[in-house]
Amino acid sequence: MKNRIGQRAISSLISLFGLVILVFFLSRLTGDPSALFLPVDASESMRENFRELHGLNDPLLVQFGHYVGDLLRGDFGDSLRRARPALDVVLEAFVWTLQLAAITMTLVTIAAIVVGSIAAFKVGSLFDRAASLLSLIGASAPDFWIAIVAIVVFSLQLGWLPTSGTGTVWHWVLPITILFLRPFGLILQVVRGSMLTALGSAYVKTARAKGVKNNRLIFVHTLRNAMLPVITVIGDQAAALLNGAVIVETIFGFPGVGKLMIDAILQRDFNVILAAIMVTALAIFIMNLLIDLAYAILDPRIRT
Amino acid sequence: MKTTNLTAGLVLAAAMVPALSGAAFAQDKGVTIVLSEELDLVDPCMATRSNIGRVVLQNISETLTELDVRGDKGVMPRLAESWDMVDDNTWRFNLRQGVKFSDGTAFDAADVIHSFERTQSDANTCEISRYYEGIDLTFTAVDDNTLDIKSVPAQPIMPLLISLLTIVPSETAMEFTRDPIGTGPYTLAEWNVGQNITLERRDDYWGEAPAVETATYVFRSEPAVRAAMVAAGEADIAPSISAIEASNAATDASYPNSETTYLRIDHGTAPFDDLRVRQALNLAIDREAFIGTILSEGVIPAVAIVPPSTLGWNPDIAAPTYDLERAKELLAEAAADGVPVDTEFLVVGRTGNFPGATEVYEAITSMLGDAGFNARLQMVEVAEHEQFYSRPFVDGTPYLVGAQHDNSRGDPVFSMFFKYHSEGRQSGIMDPKLDALIDSATAATGDERVALWQDTFAYLHDEIASDGLLFHMVGFARVGENVNFTPTIATNGALQLADITFN
Repeated sequence: MKNRIGQRAISSLISLFGLVILVFFLSRLTGDPSALFLPVDASESMRENFRELHGLNDPLLVQFGHYVGDLLRGDFGDSLRRARPALDVVLEAFVWTLQLAAITMTLVTIAAIVVGSIAAFKVGSLFDRAASLLSLIGASAPDFWIAIVAIVVFSLQLGWLPTSGTGTVWHWVLPITILFLRPFGLILQVVRGSMLTALGSAYVKTARAKGVKNNRLIFVHTLRNAMLPVITVIGDQAAALLNGAVIVETIFGFPGVGKLMIDAILQRDFNVILAAIMVTALAIFIMNLLIDLAYAILDPRIRT
Repeated sequence: MKTTNLTAGLVLAAAMVPALSGAAFAQDKGVTIVLSEELDLVDPCMATRSNIGRVVLQNISETLTELDVRGDKGVMPRLAESWDMVDDNTWRFNLRQGVKFSDGTAFDAADVIHSFERTQSDANTCEISRYYEGIDLTFTAVDDNTLDIKSVPAQPIMPLLISLLTIVPSETAMEFTRDPIGTGPYTLAEWNVGQNITLERRDDYWGEAPAVETATYVFRSEPAVRAAMVAAGEADIAPSISAIEASNAATDASYPNSETTYLRIDHGTAPFDDLRVRQALNLAIDREAFIGTILSEGVIPAVAIVPPSTLGWNPDIAAPTYDLERAKELLAEAAADGVPVDTEFLVVGRTGNFPGATEVYEAITSMLGDAGFNARLQMVEVAEHEQFYSRPFVDGTPYLVGAQHDNSRGDPVFSMFFKYHSEGRQSGIMDPKLDALIDSATAATGDERVALWQDTFAYLHDEIASDGLLFHMVGFARVGENVNFTPTIATNGALQLADITFN
């Protein structure tokens, strides 16, 4: 197990470095940030001053050398637009994203496992069909549309929830509900399928024959064995959330890392792009480690 | 089952969410304003940028002079009480006495000098400096409250030019600041990055105390959400919502947003080097067909690059009437004289430049095709658009640039050199007569200035068909029923809290 984690850490470091090279050069291929930061009628001397101030006039390789040197000292450079450290900008946003992702994934995991297990146990029942239908609708409806409709219904018509923003617990309800729908639908389907297979296996029949109660049969005996594929999908979905939920962030004015990254790309704010990618990549790397650990806990065969 | 879990989740959420302060709901004597994007900077020297200006300009930082946008008083005093011309090149400003910055220091001529020098510094990229480009300005303090500004060449509109210079105390570092200090009626009380900015009213402001005590700015990029926030009472003013959302006559109003859309023509490339071709292009565009369809009601067919409230506006110019037959005739005449009218050219538009931009350029390309032009649409994004728009122009296929120009400053001088002078960065024209007109209007004062600008506009529009002028655009604002605020042409780049009262 230790070896496995060690190998993963090394290969992740290599891919992180590859990512730095790729993003650094790709983002600089996309154009001159001075054209976007400065107004259209800015003069050439203003543009020149901007480029000089941000070291954009040096040859690319020199810029890259400086960048890697700074990076090794933990310095991601300043945001071109915000005139403050890029890492601060990214971390502020990432805290929001992390909270959104953690809360959403916790709720999704609990709900999908409970509903999916029951659906698999009562396969073909009304509950099963309703759960499948609702989860498919949830997984396939455009979140942009659902979000706007939810604001109209719950904030404007009913007045139950604030339209958008941050501040109170109530502000979190709509964004989390919207984020909940897609992974819930997907994970529920995986739980159901995996549980169906497990429920048909010999050890379940044995347990039943021994008179184990339904609840214990589902949630203790079967679920643990059905969880491996489920964890993989949970990992995938959590990684998607850690990259930021651009649409939800945009609509609800949530200051997360997804919108920050898109804005930074549109504005050619190179240092923020790189810092955001490094931070999210690191978070996904840590999450993958956690998933490996979860595998090991669930399946003793992996521990050796 | 799902409901139970959601309720459980809420409890969980309450435990996990850190305690957050500052609810965005409007309080007594407080207003909440919802802007379209978060401010990346709050530096006063960036106040010419729309959302920064809406927070900072005249609320935190003031200027020596101010353009009257509600009436027709022209340039009005603010931190300067009066001014006059000492000689052709020198203006003297008499500064207001007893004014204090929010940090307690007194305002004097040295602060004005520092504020100007700061815009010229290499340590920042202040946007204001572009208005002083190409002018040699010398600021001299005659005494603490008297300031001479000498300019080469002479600047007859110096009082207007100086209305763009936000004043900071002389202690302000040259680098961008995140803690702006000004003489205005408000101070920056709180900035929760990503969430909100709060301004608080000062007790020691030199002028009349405004009604609004605190102002909270929040940021939503989705216009439907901005409109919904005012409808739900979460915000009081949304200075910019989309035309589709602006459906409630009680709260929604349009205002000229000082933007003008047009097709920039490069007069140096065939077939656009021929006057008849440019005239045909203008006759082939059915401007009325856009109003109330792709574009909202309220837009006006443009006859100049600046909005009608600008000095030197010429009321005698009429937008060309749509006449497809005449356009075809003109093209045929040009073709008979050997002008290659069937040359393929691009209509270059910028995606998202204004609501409906793509549809507008699609329709125009198709209208030009109807008249016999060989036009092809190419939508590009900002950075690429800039390459087409500014000199040196892109080689290869000839092209028209669809663009939007903003001039809310009250004088054509901020547009004309850039757009029409032989040396202008975005000018497609090299015409000595036009250059002379622009130069003389730029240097003139009073009635003579008005007349010369009027002549320039007539020459551009009627004699040389300089470009494919399209529309003076409008913006839409939603104002909640608890407050009184009338958006004006200035709302595009400023929002003075002093203009807001409570019902």
